[in-house]
Amino acid sequence: MNQDRRQILDLLAEGKITSEEAERLIAAVEKSDAPQSRAGGAVKYLRVLVDADDPNDGPTKVNVRVPMQLLRAGVKLTGVIPDRAREQVNEAMRKEGIAFDINKLTPDNLEEMIEQLRDLTVDVDNASAKVRVFCE
Amino acid sequence: MKGEILPPMSARMHVRPAGWRFGVKLWLPLFLLWLLLIPLLLVALPVLFAASLIFRFSLWRSLKAANGVLAASRGSEVEVDNRASRIFIKLD
Repeated sequence: MNQDRRQILDLLAEGKITSEEAERLIAAVEKSDAPQSRAGGAVKYLRVLVDADDPNDGPTKVNVRVPMQLLRAGVKLTGVIPDRAREQVNEAMRKEGIAFDINKLTPDNLEEMIEQLRDLTVDVDNASAKVRVFCE
Repeated sequence: MKGEILPPMSARMHVRPAGWRFGVKLWLPLFLLWLLLIPLLLVALPVLFAASLIFRFSLWRSLKAANGVLAASRGSEVEVDNRASRIFIKLD
């Protein structure tokens, strides 16, 4: 519990403020705390770690770190694709069985996706290889 | 990292080819590559401008987006390590 909340609860316990006032004050404190915690937990990199046992090369480790900014820049790059080429991309994806519309890939949608990626962890573990994909 | 506008200025490479006992550490001044590419880009600009008119895309936005991708690649890291060889590349 942080200092501000403790003070509010102390004031409430002493009867100096009402429960409604305490509720409003706590809500205000939470609001001011929210941007700090979000900025602190911002996703910066996509990490891919592979630990494989190759029959030819022996134990192999792969460590890839991709900045999220690169993902954002890539999406911005899709914005300059001519309309005709966009249709071709969509058509090619449909042929592969992927129902995807490149027109819907916007920076706003991407931010939402990156926000969700914060909690993403993919672990693949079998006898010959371990793969871990996560964001940090 | 947000707001990077310059492409990576250097790259660090550690390479240990198969059969080598010791590896090689390299520092590559990528800014020299960009300096070499600027005159080439200037020469290519009229061609790119003509292409932008024919294929109807914004040349300025395309150049800006391409630079954005290059700038965003700063901090990328790839490392592959096995018993025989090792390679590590980091863009700074």
